[in-house]
This record gives sequence, C-alpha cells and structure tokens, in this order.
Amino acid sequence: MHNYNEFISLMGNKIISKIEKPKRLYFEVENKNINEVAEYLFNKLGCRLSTATGTETYRGIEVLYHFSHDKTGEYYCLRVVMPDKKNPKMNSITPVVRGAEWIEREMAEMLGITFEGHPRPEPLLTGNHPQNIKVPLRKWRSNG
Amino acid sequence: MDKNIIPVGPYHPLLEEAEYFTLQVDGETVVDIDLEIGWMHRGHEFISESKTFTQSIYLVERICGICSTSHPIACVHAIEDVNKTEIPLRARYIRTFIGELERIHSHLLWLGLAGHFIGYDTLWMWAWKYREPVLQMFEIISGNRNHYGMMRVGGVAKDVDPEKVKSLLDIMDEIEKKIQMIAKAATDDPVLKSRLKGVGVLTKKDAIDFCAVGPTARASGVPIDVRKDEPTDAYDLVDFKIIVTENGDVFDKTVVRLLETFESIKICKQCLEKLRTVNGGIINNVKEISPGEGIGRYEAPRGEVFHYVRTDGTNRPVRHKVRAPSFVNIPTFKASCKGIPVADALITLAAVDPCYCCTERSLKIRNKNNEPYQLDLMKLSREKTEELRRQMK
Repeated sequence: MHNYNEFISLMGNKIISKIEKPKRLYFEVENKNINEVAEYLFNKLGCRLSTATGTETYRGIEVLYHFSHDKTGEYYCLRVVMPDKKNPKMNSITPVVRGAEWIEREMAEMLGITFEGHPRPEPLLTGNHPQNIKVPLRKWRSNG
Repeated sequence: MDKNIIPVGPYHPLLEEAEYFTLQVDGETVVDIDLEIGWMHRGHEFISESKTFTQSIYLVERICGICSTSHPIACVHAIEDVNKTEIPLRARYIRTFIGELERIHSHLLWLGLAGHFIGYDTLWMWAWKYREPVLQMFEIISGNRNHYGMMRVGGVAKDVDPEKVKSLLDIMDEIEKKIQMIAKAATDDPVLKSRLKGVGVLTKKDAIDFCAVGPTARASGVPIDVRKDEPTDAYDLVDFKIIVTENGDVFDKTVVRLLETFESIKICKQCLEKLRTVNGGIINNVKEISPGEGIGRYEAPRGEVFHYVRTDGTNRPVRHKVRAPSFVNIPTFKASCKGIPVADALITLAAVDPCYCCTERSLKIRNKNNEPYQLDLMKLSREKTEELRRQMK
C-alpha cells in the first residue's frame, strides 16, 4: 500500500493536524497555504478533484477538498477552517484547479463563504429560485 | 458583433433533468456556451441529515431514476468506510451484479437517445427494445423495475434465488446476442461514422483540467475507473477490463459505452455463476456507526459517484455530501462545444449522457446575412445525417 510519508515530509510544515486511515488522509492547512498545497496535489501528484464538502461545525465553517489519487485509489482530503462564521472568507483554488469552479460556487451560496479570487462568484443553484434563498445549509444550525 | 443566443431547456418532454444552456452563435457556429442549473435542486444533503442511515439509503436512491443503485452503493460504501465494516462474500457478488445490470440498461438508454437525436430511429427502437429484458431481470430479482431497494449497510436486502440463476443467465445470453447485433450495425455504418467522428472533441488536457469522470474521461484517453482504482465489492474477484480510447469525440464516447456494455455482461455472468456456488449470509448486522468520517464511491454508468458522510455516533449523519458524475462532466461543454456547427451541438451535449436532451425549443435568429430563420436543433441534427446518407448513396 502506498503511504502518505512523502507528501507529509514535503508539506509537513504546512499541515496543522492530520488523521491517517487506510487509503484516506485528512489534513488541515491554513488558508494562506491552500493554493500551494492544491497545486502540488493537482499538478505534481496528478490528483483529480472529486469534489469539496462545506460544513458548519462548532469550530467555524469548514471546507474539505477531496483529491483522488486515481493510480493508487487514495484520497487526500484538504481541510480549511474559517473561525469567523459571520463573514467566512478563504482563497479559491479554481485558478489552480478549473474543476473546482462549480463546487466553490455551490458552497458559496449554500454556506455564505466568500471565495477570494474565484473567476465567477455567482450563485449556481439558487440563482433562479422564486424565493430569495440565502445560505440554506446554515439556516437551521446557528445564527451565524 | 450582435450576439445570437439559442436557449436550450430548461424544460422539455424529453428531459429527465432540467438544465438550461445558452449557445452563443455566429451564423451556424457555436462560439460560446453558458450553463445554468438549479431547477432540480431538492436539498437531498440537508434532508439526509434528518434521516437515519437506512432511510438515507432510500433517499439517495431517489436522486436519479437511471442510476438508482449507484447512489445507494456509494452511500453504503461511505458508511462502511467510517466503521470499516466487512460484508459477506455473497452480498459482494450481488452488489456487483446489480450495479453492472444497471450499467447495461443505462448505456442502452443513452444509445437509443443518441440514435434518435441524429435521425437513427431504428437504433433507438432496437436499443430500448433490448433494454426491456434487463428491466425484467431487475423485477425478477428485486420485485421492482427501478428503485430496487437492494442496498443495506453491511450487505444487501434481498438474496438472488439460486434456482433463478439459470433463467437469468439465459436472458443474459439473449441480450448479449442482440447488443452484438446493434453494436455491429452502429459501428460499421459509414454514415454514422462520418456523422460522429471528430464531432465535439474533448481533449485529454481538458478532461483532466475539468476533472471529468466516467466514459467522458475514458473516451479522451484518461484511464480512470473506480472499479479498478479502488476495487470494492466483488470487482477484485471478477475479470474485466476498462475501455479507454484516445480521440475524445462523440464516436469514441459511443464506442466506449458499447464496449463497456459487453464488459458488464461479462461481469454479470461471472457473478451469476458464483451465486450458484457461494453460500452464506447476505448481510452483517451493523448495530452502531462509530463517530468519524468516511468516503464512498462507485463507478456509475456516467462516472464516479461520490458520497462523504460525517457521523457523531448517533443513528443519523451530521453531514452527507453527494456528488453525481454529471456535476463534473457537464462543465466540459465549455471546451467541447466551442467552434462546432449548431447541427452538432445537440449530439455533443448528449454525448456526456447528462440524462437530458431537449432541444426542440426554437426561436427566430438571424444568420450572417441578417436573414431571419427558424432554428430547430433536433431538425438540424437529423437533416445533417440525412444529407450525409444521400451523399453516400
């Protein structure tokens, strides 16, 4: 089984915390380092971005990018946590990974995240909704 | 330059899902395409958080009518990934069998629609006629032609009766012969070849950049398939190969799907043979799901279905993320539709199998000479095939 040691040794200074499981590596990085790590995963390791998951947690708004390394069937899950729930902001990885455009637009409208540097920051799913829907995935969870 | 916009969608009797495309055209050439989605957004991720894990499986089964078992398989994989649950061998074969049967009926459905759009109605009627026995097999096994309700965390819900295996194998043989006939008729036809070759090319670089999956990526030379990359269920126990072609055009996407159908038949037959001999239970009783997070995926007919589940030790997920393959395949239109004639737009949009193709909506636009004319994409597409047919006579 391939292991994550090489990646961890290269990017170790940028990883705040990590959870390693068979074929799964969940790790957290700071917002300022996200583009560099995403670029390494996409361009150097040849990973494919499966999707990203935005979640509201007690620590803040969390975004988890799922990078699939198809040659080995492993996942690199890159986590960024934004403690400011009222105005969550993070860097967009769309300039690095074009396939992230739609999922970042979706997370922006569902959770109210601002993706800085996104080429097209407009709603994807709720743009034509007859009601004025705002951050539906946060509505029932907290007052922000 | 005045913008001429052709709206495509969002609702049409042919549509299975609603999408809205705006084709920006210069004369008869597509110069840009824009997409809007959201008409079908039903909040499944949010609803799932209020359901138990078993209810979630039923919920995700209803996301799509065509890949109605791919979502449940990916969902149970995600929950099993949290717990590292082992599933019985017999259940692994049943899961693989059901998943592959679904691939056969989905590819046949697409082939029929593609034939219809370019004016090959015989192909459409053949494909849908021979898809029928596949649906009947589902009915024999699960009692339902669609939404089979087979998946459970730790195994499957219903067993395949060993006494029915022979009749299922007989149906399988019959389907294989018919699909061979369709495949030969489709791939040997000179009109079809010249109609589809070089149309709507998606380059390998674009496929990688857009993170495309499934036959859309494999037809462009990207060898990815979850069944080989991360084999689950019985995929490491059966013999099959993944089909990869290099050109990325509509013809290659057709070839990939046709050849994949034969691989699926091969897998189904192996699974059925094993179901004669492999005994034992079909489900491991899972009493609780531990706190944690899990990723589950499955190679649906259109590509990788991805599910992410976060749990807190209760009987409900805290977060359930679902990503269907069309979500990453549809943006590739930005690359594959530019510069093609309007008559080819319909089949190019249909080639990634986004469960839709609505394009009889027409409006008045003006051509290069500023002459207004009515434009009907379906009619244009079929006329182009007719013209080729006449030329080749």
